[in-house]
Amino acid sequence: MSEDYRLMWKNLGLNLEAHDMLLGVLGNAYKDIYLSQKERPEGMAYFDFVMSEVHGLRIKELLDEKAAGRKIVGAYCVFVPEEIVLAANATLVGLCSGADFAIEEVEKLLPRNTCALIKSAFGFKLGKVCPYLESADMIVGENTCDGKKKAYETLGQLVSNLYVMDLPQVKTQNGRALLKAEYFQFKAAVEKLTGKAITADSLKAAIQTVNAKRKAIHRLSALRQADPAPISGLDALLANQVFFYDNPARFTASVNKICDELEKRVEEKKGAFPARTPRLLISGCPQAVPNWKLPFIIETSGAVIVGEESCVGERGTRNLTAETGNTVETMMEAIVDRYFQVDCAIFTPNPDRLAHIEQMAAQYKADGVIHYGLQFCQPYLMEAIPVEKALEKKNIPCLRIETDYSMEDAGQLKTRIEAFIEQIKG
Amino acid sequence: MLTIPPLMDDGFAGEPAKRVLQYMQAHKAKGDPIVGIYCGYAPIELIQAMGLVPAVLCAFSKVPIPAAETVLPANLCPLIKSSFGFIIEGTCPFYAMSQAVIAETTCDGKKKMFELIADIKPTHVMDLPQVPDQREALPNWKQMILRLQEFLEKTFDRKADENKIEASLQAANRRNALMQKIFDYAALRPSALHWSEMYDVGFLALPATGAEMAPRLEALLERLEKRVRDGLHFGRPDAPRVLVTGCPVGGDATKIFKVIEAAGGAVVAPDACTGMKAFAGTFQENSGDPIGAMAERYLKIPCACMTPNERRLTDLSIMIDRFKPDAVIDVVLQACHAYNIESHKVGRHVQEAHGLPFLKVEIDYSEGDIGQLRTRVEALFESI
Amino acid sequence: MAHRFAGIDIGSRTIELVVVNQSGQAIHTLKADTGFDPMAEAKQMIGAVVYEGIMATGYGRNLFEIAFEAPTVTEIKAHARGARAFFPEALNVLDIGGQDSKAIALSDNGKVKKFEMNDRCAAGTGKFLEIMARTLGYAIEQFGNEALLAEQETTISSMCTVFAESEVTSLIAKGQDRREIALGVHASVMRRVAAMLQRVAPEGDIVFTGGVANNACLRALLAQKLGRRILYAPQAQFAGALGAALLALEAA
Repeated sequence: MSEDYRLMWKNLGLNLEAHDMLLGVLGNAYKDIYLSQKERPEGMAYFDFVMSEVHGLRIKELLDEKAAGRKIVGAYCVFVPEEIVLAANATLVGLCSGADFAIEEVEKLLPRNTCALIKSAFGFKLGKVCPYLESADMIVGENTCDGKKKAYETLGQLVSNLYVMDLPQVKTQNGRALLKAEYFQFKAAVEKLTGKAITADSLKAAIQTVNAKRKAIHRLSALRQADPAPISGLDALLANQVFFYDNPARFTASVNKICDELEKRVEEKKGAFPARTPRLLISGCPQAVPNWKLPFIIETSGAVIVGEESCVGERGTRNLTAETGNTVETMMEAIVDRYFQVDCAIFTPNPDRLAHIEQMAAQYKADGVIHYGLQFCQPYLMEAIPVEKALEKKNIPCLRIETDYSMEDAGQLKTRIEAFIEQIKG
Repeated sequence: MLTIPPLMDDGFAGEPAKRVLQYMQAHKAKGDPIVGIYCGYAPIELIQAMGLVPAVLCAFSKVPIPAAETVLPANLCPLIKSSFGFIIEGTCPFYAMSQAVIAETTCDGKKKMFELIADIKPTHVMDLPQVPDQREALPNWKQMILRLQEFLEKTFDRKADENKIEASLQAANRRNALMQKIFDYAALRPSALHWSEMYDVGFLALPATGAEMAPRLEALLERLEKRVRDGLHFGRPDAPRVLVTGCPVGGDATKIFKVIEAAGGAVVAPDACTGMKAFAGTFQENSGDPIGAMAERYLKIPCACMTPNERRLTDLSIMIDRFKPDAVIDVVLQACHAYNIESHKVGRHVQEAHGLPFLKVEIDYSEGDIGQLRTRVEALFESI
Repeated sequence: MAHRFAGIDIGSRTIELVVVNQSGQAIHTLKADTGFDPMAEAKQMIGAVVYEGIMATGYGRNLFEIAFEAPTVTEIKAHARGARAFFPEALNVLDIGGQDSKAIALSDNGKVKKFEMNDRCAAGTGKFLEIMARTLGYAIEQFGNEALLAEQETTISSMCTVFAESEVTSLIAKGQDRREIALGVHASVMRRVAAMLQRVAPEGDIVFTGGVANNACLRALLAQKLGRRILYAPQAQFAGALGAALLALEAA
């Protein structure tokens, strides 16, 4: 089996030696961080399996899909509408950006003080270790932050199939019109790629599929309101991460299955951590696989994470796309409406995000908020200022963290997080 | 060198900000309202056509940066930190005079900084397209200028007049053409115009109206012509000629120009919004749609906030042909992601298309790196 | 044996141990260099005193927790508690230790309300001062006093230790007055720390704890810059250990 994978990886053009190293590190990290957790829901076994096969079976599935004539679209951002991709008979996958790789090569192309996420995306390409990227028939970039916007110009020289989507920065009518125009262009581009026109039926089915995925995550999130929290933040984050990789229908079913189990746990007052464990909300930059650094430190320092205000989390999954439309045009409008609500810090001003953080803190009964900013990510680091102010006004303790993917500062972070937990406990 | 009398011999030579302050004060005394701007995308001609005076706000001193750092993240460009520090410390006279501020969504840092100052003075944010060649970009930007017009009409209780806007564009064209003639003296070999003189002229020519500037510029051109006749020039005739591109360079950041000179070079072409970029391009005249003509010209500014910014490379090539530099230095202000990332492309272009040595320097406003900069610039000159 | 509780602060540079009696009075204070084997050092120190319970804090607290099955507390809470022991009304605490600096705001009841720590780089920490003192050829104990003798400051603009070190080296090479450079180094640390204090604890007296509190120059510069009183106890370096000991006593 694993020999088959090696051939598959080789055919994809991966650097086998580097890839082995990556899988080794990933496997160990997963064991240390995930498998060492106590009181895990049994349903997490599914995600353990997914992670163990994340570059194996899942890639094989994608290649089988390709062999059967489907196309694979890779994306880096939650603004790429999965509904459109699915409706055109393609599969959307998230691309690797959660670990440092081939840093020296990356820094020949990008400045050192570029955020870890962007550098990682380049590292996986330059190091030839991301089978998703290499399987993709189309790679979608998007003009979100300065770093990404400019980095895609350089990425375009490294890959032949980059499609860049522009995004508005202001939530005005003009902004919405721009997003709409971009989504229609994207639709045309995906249709061209697959050779399949999107129909009202295919779009409706796609909207339902993606909504089902989101609803399953909503269900999971709602269960985390309980004290004791029935699932650790690490495990819930993993579900949110796998959201971007897995087959949608299977993902939905698996999350719902875990939710059934968690409902029982809640009834029995059984938790991943004891009752009255300090509850924290994480807010800020996305945490892509295998960036588990912060939640690992938090949950081994005596607190439990009860929500992620993040693109890999509630910001990405919060809203559903209206299913009421019957024509392609009305459903496209619904898609534009849905994504235009995403409150990424690239928007100015961005008051919705502040409101959502407060709302989530209340809803998940968080005792405090940790604002997670990736070093050099100016939109989120800047927005942390008003976020902290707003939370202070409501007497919700807030700790601002600025970090990257390296483990150098783990000790220091642990001290700060422990002190924050002490502060919450009073 | 010192024997050359300054081009603008008005007691403010080398202190362009003071000259502009005097200009602003004179207008203020006449009762003309002042509008603060931060960026080359602010449509100055519209502001002027409405009888308002645009003032470029302070952003180039290291002094207010420690104050800014009590609020802002340290990993932010010095220009933004300085701007913000000036505001919270209340030390920018131009900001104090301004009754409103015009902002643009250029880079992330500025965009988010404006949110923090939006409640201090009426602040109007213009949503700047990021993909200038996209179909929606021009109509959207035109609409943003119209939106600004509404804001100014409301804030200052006056109406814009299309004829006045057209006249303002035409005057700006005239001024820009004269500015180009002045820059031609820097293109001479050896150069007959010093970078600090370009700043002296440019810092005033930007906020002043075309009508105010034209006669002054004509007089300066006569002086320059005489200078050439007298055989005067700056630096040694064989001094390495440097084109400086990249982020805006003013105040404390002009240390890079000084370092270039100390290393024996001559700054013959300061590209950037603080240099020649502000006077590039022309407005289409008598188009019947002056706002549209304005939108078109502004959208052509090759700022690194645009993507893909191929125009920067084509404009750079034209500039290289005109000023014939021996080397190109790309100045990136620390933590300015857009210029920093784009530098890779610029460097390749300069080296491959023009065969010129290229140096990227990442600087802030402090003096700590002057020694190191000097070493790097000298090494660059050695490679010529 | 009367009830005695100990606190041990295992820092990156030094280890401090304080034993308090039932009324919270410090009856023993010990200090040693952390060295290469902090647990061996700690073991020796705790062997020299008698106590009923011990709480560990500092960078090495987790190692101590495993080795000696002791409860732990972060430096932030420990210093907050220690500062209150020195100055019962303290609302603002500044601690500069070997590799961290922290600004802490307290509620009226002494609980930590808000805090901030320097990011991963060493600028604004004891380590930074130590490296600069060495570069300038001063003993760390005299560094502050020497700087105070300078008539003016040579500005050090590099925030990063590595760059600052080369900046200082080049200033020495240029023949700049050593004391003036020393004052510049102190001013650079002061600016960094002052910014943190202004964010976290913008008004009122500040209690300065940690080893660097002994530096008279830094105290003077901070007081001048902030226009606020900088309070410090001669035992400032023991604030963390004292705080931990008191927290152990109060938890018993």
